[in-house]
Amino acid sequence: MTEIKIEMKNIGKVFETDDIETHALKDVNIVIRAGEYVSISGPSGCGKSTLLSLLGLLDESTSGSYVIEGKDVSHLSLDEAAGIRNEKIGFVFQSFNLIDELSVFDNVALPLQYKKEIPTDEFIKERVEACLKMVEMSHRAEHKPNQLSGGQQQRIAIARALVADPAILLVDEPTGNLDSQSGDTVMAVLAELNKKGTTICMVTHDARYADMAKIQLKLLDGQIVKEERLKVAV
Amino acid sequence: MSKFVRQHKQAWASLKKKPGFILTVLMTMGITLGALLCAVTLNYLLLVEPLPYPEQDRLFVAEHKLIGPEKETKAVAYTYPGLVHLYKSKQAFEQAAMMIYGQDVIISHSNQPLVNTTYVTPEFHQIIASPMAVGRMFEASEAIDTNNPVTMLSYNTWQQEYNGSADILDEKINLSGISYRVIGVLSEDFIEPELNGIGQETQVWLPWDYNQTGEGGRESFGNISNSLKFVGQLNKGVSQSQAQQLLTPLVSDRWQEGVVEIDFFNGWSVSMIVRPVKDVILGDSESIAVMLLAGVVGLVLIACANISNLFMSRTAEKQRQMAIQAALGATKKHLFKTMFAETTILMFMSIILALVISKVGFYIMQQYLGAVLPRVSELSLNPITFGCAVLVAITFALFFAKLSTRMINYRALNTTLQSSGKGSGLQVSKKTRQVLIASQVALATVLVFANFSLLKDAVKTINAPIGFETENISTLILNFSSTNFPTREEGIPIMAEIMEKLEALPQVESISQSRSPLDGFGVRALTSVADNKNYTPYFNNVSHTYFDMIEQPLVQGDNFTLVDRKDGTDVMIVNQAFAKQLKADGDVIGMQISTGRPDPFKIIGIVRDIAIPGDAATDHNSEALGSGVPRAYVPNGLNNQSFMIKVKPGQLVSREQLGKLLGDVDSRYAVFSFDAASDILTQRLFAEITTAVTTAILASLVFLLAGIGLYGILSYGTQLRRFELGARMAIGATRKHLVSLIIGDNTKAILVGFIGSIALFALAYIGMSEYIQPLLTWQVIPMLLVTLVLIVLVTLFACYWPLRQYINKPAIFTLRGSD
Ligand SMILES: Nc1ncnc2c1ncn2[C@@H]1O[C@H](COP(=O)(O)OP(=O)(O)OP(=O)(O)O)[C@@H](O)[C@H]1O
Ligand SMILES: [Mg+2]
Repeated sequence: MTEIKIEMKNIGKVFETDDIETHALKDVNIVIRAGEYVSISGPSGCGKSTLLSLLGLLDESTSGSYVIEGKDVSHLSLDEAAGIRNEKIGFVFQSFNLIDELSVFDNVALPLQYKKEIPTDEFIKERVEACLKMVEMSHRAEHKPNQLSGGQQQRIAIARALVADPAILLVDEPTGNLDSQSGDTVMAVLAELNKKGTTICMVTHDARYADMAKIQLKLLDGQIVKEERLKVAV
Repeated sequence: MSKFVRQHKQAWASLKKKPGFILTVLMTMGITLGALLCAVTLNYLLLVEPLPYPEQDRLFVAEHKLIGPEKETKAVAYTYPGLVHLYKSKQAFEQAAMMIYGQDVIISHSNQPLVNTTYVTPEFHQIIASPMAVGRMFEASEAIDTNNPVTMLSYNTWQQEYNGSADILDEKINLSGISYRVIGVLSEDFIEPELNGIGQETQVWLPWDYNQTGEGGRESFGNISNSLKFVGQLNKGVSQSQAQQLLTPLVSDRWQEGVVEIDFFNGWSVSMIVRPVKDVILGDSESIAVMLLAGVVGLVLIACANISNLFMSRTAEKQRQMAIQAALGATKKHLFKTMFAETTILMFMSIILALVISKVGFYIMQQYLGAVLPRVSELSLNPITFGCAVLVAITFALFFAKLSTRMINYRALNTTLQSSGKGSGLQVSKKTRQVLIASQVALATVLVFANFSLLKDAVKTINAPIGFETENISTLILNFSSTNFPTREEGIPIMAEIMEKLEALPQVESISQSRSPLDGFGVRALTSVADNKNYTPYFNNVSHTYFDMIEQPLVQGDNFTLVDRKDGTDVMIVNQAFAKQLKADGDVIGMQISTGRPDPFKIIGIVRDIAIPGDAATDHNSEALGSGVPRAYVPNGLNNQSFMIKVKPGQLVSREQLGKLLGDVDSRYAVFSFDAASDILTQRLFAEITTAVTTAILASLVFLLAGIGLYGILSYGTQLRRFELGARMAIGATRKHLVSLIIGDNTKAILVGFIGSIALFALAYIGMSEYIQPLLTWQVIPMLLVTLVLIVLVTLFACYWPLRQYINKPAIFTLRGSD
């Protein structure tokens, strides 16, 4: 049995706005093991983004427990959550969220700057270059993000998510802002990473891309309705 | 036209949804532009506007300058016979007048008020064409040596003392025992030239012949007085310097003749200075006005930076709306016009508020600055103010509209519509924001520092120890309302009886038969007998209880005794400053000092220095102010007509009560003045108090505006970086990381601002070193530090406060962009 990276038990999320209570997630249970590629899909408003933000400790659940690599992270302060995000989670967003004022290199290096112990310059340089190589963007290290195409920007975002060697890569609609060709390149990069051992959890609308994952979760009205585990021969 | 109206209606409709925005713009611009209009009007009045008199550029004052043996100016003041000689010679001036400023009591009036009197020859009002409310002005019938007892009242005196009585011309008023028939009242519009100091207002005008100079004084070249004035209209074609050259020998010859027998004036000479009336009235107030304008312009610049921020944020906010307009075919010019319509509405609203505020400002200045700045009574909303207001409104409307539209990248507007708007689109460039922060910091630092320095000086003067007691002490000065003065021997028992009656009053603690030091000192020419050196210390005749009453300590020697006063002993007490002047070691007891009379005075005691605000050293070679001033005291006679009254704590004596007391003793005596020493002290400090209040208000305004502005631009900057902050949080940045990121990013701009402020100081230093030089002492360092700390605190606050809404919530809020 491979090591359990993430375990969510009976997770619920209620949004309270004025008088309305929205039950965005109900009694969600998820286990993700090392090296797995998980996709989450479902109709609009079913709770995909909410689930991902809970997985990424961007928000707190209303109920249930959540453990990452054996550490209970259900109840953390804002700064503790930030620390765990930095250490164990890599994010890739639909809208890239790169910082325009920083070069590609500096964008990728950013998570290392937020580590409790800032690594040496040589280590940072080595690590950033390795990650850029993985996404095949080494030749653009000195550019600014807005000088790149959308697909290129998303690959930089992936490199940034990888740089701190996270337990899991969380990916929200990575192709939402891309044309199909750039989308395919980005998905190919993710598939390649997974092949090399990176654990990935991805939200997507696109059935074609969802199928690339070995485990496919289907969400409906805040509940997991279907879990498919594909036995893919390596 | 209808298009114009429609455009402004639309603009108003769109503005109306943002009452907070309107209010901020209106208050900031209204208040600062109001202050600007005040300062501009004041400067125009003082620097440009001609005096309100016919042919005002031919009006000159001739002054009599006394020059000592070392060619140093000893005094600018006339001798009585010298002035009359000048007047009668009728040289250089087409028409000229003499005048003497004084004060007297209207004893015929039931309240016996003390009024400012001016004795003039009739040319005075003719030259300045004084408008009359009632009756006539002085004419040939009131010329010199006619002895015609008539009077003219000021409009205010007529209204306040005589209730604007219609029969005022039938009225007779009595001053010092002479009954004057009222022949006219000056018009409400009459503006008196402030020749005798700022705020001078004559209440009763009297013919020259009745001035209170005694028989001896009218002949004496030994007495000088600076309340004697000469003003006139120069002959056509005669220049200022020609007039000086013409008058100097004329006056000088007569003066030399007059002083030939007075040893003291050996080696002295006189020369005439002819100065435009305008210069005399303005004095050095131009620099005050210009400094005020500079301060207000600084305020306006800060306000302008603030409002620029607001307009830029507003444009950023409106980008989507503008993108839709652009998609529908609006050109760049259309967008500008829409923006201009908005800024025009806002600026004209602000300027109307500014006009109202400046009107209030004029009133405040007239109430409180009348004694500090000349001509403030002439301040009013005039065409210049209105013109300036319209110009400023249009300029700012154009500027803000231009600034806002310049931010719009017209070609990029379409992409705004396509993109979801997350983090993309219109932003104020980082550089623009940095420039705004830096200029805000630079201006605020300069202004706050300048204001602090002025405030500190003023407060220092206000709080400076004066060295004597004023609490519960008032000075009563008697008025003698008859023309035949009592002799010394007749006076003594009367004064003794008055003293006795005053002491018997239940409220009174003690009485001293002399004036308070705040009622003024004379200046006396003294010669040290041993080495024949001349001195001009402040001089006072005092009673033997004077020093005890005001608690001015005797540091060496003896006090005067009652016997000294009774016998007129020739003894003198000097202060430490004068003792130092006389002898380096200050040991002057027993020294002989001559006043020019055969018997010299012997110094018997030394008292501690006192510091009377406004008293400058009379010796022009020493720069000492206030405390270092030399003073000499001799015993006064027992017939002295002034008294210091010290009341018991919490007790009061009224002017009426004293008037009655005096009348009971001798009906010829009335109250001339009865003033609390502490009130006189406040009056003397009025300029400093005004400065302190003005600078304190300005400093807080500057600080407030700069604070709001810095907060605005920094919070806008933070808002723009919301998605970046969200991304950083997702990556694992803690709150500390983010706070230091924002502070770090703004530090450069703030530092540039500080360096800019130093550059501004350097520029100011080059431009007006004579004002700044005296400010440059080591004391500026703590002031500068305080300023820097304050600005840094405000900046830190402005960095953190807008950030807290993002960093104190789960990261998802920041990342999503919804609250
Ligand atoms: N901050 C919030 N406050 C209130 N309700 C919210 C909030 N965020 C999400 N919801 C609600 O929670 C539910 C799930 O939203 P979520 O964004 O997770 O959907 P999604 O599956 O990501 O949809 P999509 O595919 O359209 O992105 C929705 O019904 C949404 O209205
Ligand atoms: Mg979603």
